[in-house]
This record gives sequence, C-alpha cells and structure tokens, in this order.
Amino acid sequence: MRWGMAIDLRRCVGCQTCTIACKQEHSLPAGTQWRFVADCEVGVYPGVRRIFLPMQCMHCAEPPCVPVCPTGASRRRADGIVWVEYDACVGCGYCAVACPYHARHLVHEADGYFAAPTPAERATAQPTRHDVMTKCTFCKERVDAGRAAGLAPGVDADATPMCAVACIAGAIVFGDLDDPTSRVRALIDGTNAAPLAPECGTGPSVYYVTGDGPPPDPEPRAWKPADVACPVPRSARSRSRHGFDRPPVQDPVLAWLRALGRDR
Amino acid sequence: MSTLTTPADRRPLELIAATPQTLWGMPAVLNFTLVGLGAGFYVAATLAAALGMTDALALAAWLAPALVLAGFAAVASEAGRPLRGLRVLRGVATSWMSRELWLGGLFVLLALADEALPQPGLRPLAAAAAIALVLAQGAMLKNARAIAAWSVPVMPVVFMAAAAVSGLSLLLLAELMAGRRPGRALLATTLAVLALGLLVWLGFLASSSDPSFVGATAPLRRGAAAMEIIVAGYAAPLAFLALALAFPAWSTGPTAMAASLALVGQFRARSALILTAGQRRPVTLATLTLPRRPS
Repeated sequence: MRWGMAIDLRRCVGCQTCTIACKQEHSLPAGTQWRFVADCEVGVYPGVRRIFLPMQCMHCAEPPCVPVCPTGASRRRADGIVWVEYDACVGCGYCAVACPYHARHLVHEADGYFAAPTPAERATAQPTRHDVMTKCTFCKERVDAGRAAGLAPGVDADATPMCAVACIAGAIVFGDLDDPTSRVRALIDGTNAAPLAPECGTGPSVYYVTGDGPPPDPEPRAWKPADVACPVPRSARSRSRHGFDRPPVQDPVLAWLRALGRDR
Repeated sequence: MSTLTTPADRRPLELIAATPQTLWGMPAVLNFTLVGLGAGFYVAATLAAALGMTDALALAAWLAPALVLAGFAAVASEAGRPLRGLRVLRGVATSWMSRELWLGGLFVLLALADEALPQPGLRPLAAAAAIALVLAQGAMLKNARAIAAWSVPVMPVVFMAAAAVSGLSLLLLAELMAGRRPGRALLATTLAVLALGLLVWLGFLASSSDPSFVGATAPLRRGAAAMEIIVAGYAAPLAFLALALAFPAWSTGPTAMAASLALVGQFRARSALILTAGQRRPVTLATLTLPRRPS
C-alpha cells in the first residue's frame, strides 16, 4: 500500500480552498501553509498560459528529507506517508534545504492574525509545533481513524485528506497507488500524469495531470451525500480536539425569532 | 483547440522559479567558516610543526578546538530547539549533520587530550578527525538536494581547500604575532595551497552545466562577490606572498596582508555560497500538454 494523489491541473481553478481547508484542519498559524496553489505563467508570448499548481509535500518514495535528518524526527511510514515527530525535531532546517518541493515549514513564532490571539487561535494553538519542522501529513490522522472505522481513504470523505475533500473542482484524487483498481491509479495511468521535478529522483507520490489522455471525469466526486452536506466536513475526532463540540449557545431572542417563523 | 506543449527538446518546463533559501543564514556561515578555520589551523600547525617550519602548535592546541566549538555554538543559535541539540547525535547512520557533530566532538576531545596528557598518536588522530570534520561539512551541503549550488560532488573538496587556505593563513598570522618571521618553506607552501584553492573554487563554479546550478552561482562568477572572493581572496594574497618570497627582508608586511586578505576572502566565499548562491531549485514538470481554454 502506498498512499498517493493525482492533481488534475485541467480542473484546478486556483481558488485556494484546499489551502484554507488544510489550514483549518491542522490549525496552522498565520503565514504557514502546508499546501498552497502557485499561480504560474508558462510559455512564451503569444503562447502563454496561466497554470494553477497546487504544491504540498510529495511523500516521496525516496524522500531526501528523511536520511538527512540528524535526529530521526523525519520519517516515512510503510504506507508511504512522510511525517515529522515534533518532539524529536531540533528545527535545524536541514530537511528543508534537502526537499526540492518547498514542502517544509519552520515556524519560529506562531503569529496571530491580530494584535492579540483570538479565542479560536487560543483554542487551536499547537505549541509542540513551534520551532520545529512542520509539513503536510496527508492528513494521516484522518486516514488512520477512517481506516480504523472501516472507511476507505479516497472513497469516504472522513478517511480522505482534507484538501481532496474540500476541492471545489474535484481536482484532487487520493488513494492507494499500489491498487490497480483505485481511482487515483486509473487517473494516473489513463492520463500519463507526471510528478514534479523528476530530475531530483525522489519518486514523488503526487502526480499532476496536465492534458494527455481522456477529458476530465464529468462526475469526479465520490463523496456520499451525507458527507457533502457540509462543505468542509470534520471528523468527530477533530471537532473534539479543537473544542468545537460544545453545545450551541441558547440565545432567547434567536429562539423567539425561530418560534415566530415557525408560527407563520 | 490549440495546446501548450512541452518544448521539443523535452527539457522540463519551469513552473516555479528558483527562490532563495532563508532557513540557513549568518549563523550557518559562521559555523562553516569557524569550523573550517579551526580544523584547518590544527592540521596546518601539526604538519608544519612536524616538518620543523613553525612552533605554533601550542596555540593551535587550544585555539583550534575553541574555534570549532564557537562554530557549533553559532549554528546552535539558529536551531529552533537548541536545547534538544544532543539528539543530533542520533542520526549518524544516515545524516552528515549528525556525523559532523560526532567528528567535531571527537576532534575537540582528542586535541584537548593531546594538550593535557600528551600521548603518541593522539595528535595525528586529532588531525585526522579535523580533516574528516571538514569533509563532513562539505558532504552535508552536497546532500542538500533542493539547493542546486550546494548539491554537487565537488563540494567536500571545496570545503577541504577552504579549510587548508584558512588554516595556513591563520598559521602565518600566528607566526607574525608571535614575533617570528615565517620561513620560505611555509610561505611557499601557503602560496601553493592558495593557488590550489583558487583552482578548486574555479573548478567548483564550472562543475555543473545544470541550468539551476549555473543560475544560482552566476553572482559568484561576476560582480562584487567575484571581485571579493577571487581577486581579493585569492589573487591579491598570491601576489603578496610572491612579494614576500621575492624580498625576504621585507616579508612581514606582505605576509600579514596576504594572510588577512585570504581569511576575509574565505569568509566572503562561505557567505556568498550560503546566502547568495543558496537558491532553491526551480520546480519543473517534465511533460505539459494543456488544452487552451477559450477566452
């Protein structure tokens, strides 16, 4: 099993919804984005095109960041997910200068968006991530919890990385690269999708569909109706972790207005 | 519908341009400079003493470990969690940063042990550890695959040459400050090593035709940095040393100038390598065939 992703550049509209979904899912501080969508201009006039290129950790088969890590904090799991054990990292930055994909982020001070931390920022603060290397984890907590609950990553939203779930265009497909029946494998094989910077020889698990092969799938989403009811579904586990599972505030005025509406 | 395709020569298409790395700054420059200076000084003093050229070993015995420790202290100030520093020792099986710390610690221990309790064999071992330490620093940069200017096979040789030039220059200054006029053999050796160092530096700048390497190292080949490194750091010291050799009676001034310029030049070379040429590789895609969308 090797988790991977195919990103269909024909579909990406550069809306950055995946960026924001990732920031929300992982409570990332201001200025830190584990994934971002680069706005690229390619070609020479008059043959110029604008391409939106979602960037993130490529979870390489031969990750250059792992062997250089002097503490062993950067690791690769058997299922291909590359992650950082925050408690073991010294924040030396060696892995960041080894990674050709701009995937690693060292946050010395977690700045807030305002002069003082907001209640939400206080509730979601992650002090263990200060001064250590952070990066995309392929939402391994979601994937693991989903699989433990019998869900299929890439098929069930609660077992799929948040960026793929949130993408408004269905451009991000997640799944098992080793499974020939998986949607991600079929998309890669059917479109000659290619990884970024192949000259680095890192064997990325994220592929980019650029235009060869059949046209985009007209109905790319596989999420169940219950999942798509909320545009950014959150697992019960993550709701609890962030403290967002408190009962709603009982506002008497609001209750009166609702009752009034029902009476009419 | 027209399409935008990868050029016929199939060179990967550059989507995100090279950007400067910002994680390693002046503390890293100090680390590479001071560790190279300390290790080079110890090796140079040891060899020169063995050949009867100098008597600066007593100084090198404590100054070289102090310089290496200062280099490690400088880089520790850049780490996010320096109090976890000892964990860096864990990755010795794969990480050159870990090996650098092991070798640095070994060098300091051996050099200080040789000074405190002189034993035959300790000094050559300490010198060998110093050489390995410098090579480990070069290998560390060579394995930083995101930085095109660092990730070249010749990098350990560049570090070795820099340490030799720095160490001999400091040795010349130490001799002068001790009131001794460096002998012709030491001056000639320094001149030869400087010439070799210049060749290694020029060889490094020409070591790869990879466009990202060529682009990242372009500022080191021309402009102010090139003048400071090549002219002031190598050519001028070579000229001053030639003067010192030609006119032994007036060799003190030219020797001091040559050593000082070479030391400053080596610092400038390290800072240019890390801060200026430390550019992340561009992000490329091998194939691109995007259908044009109607406007």
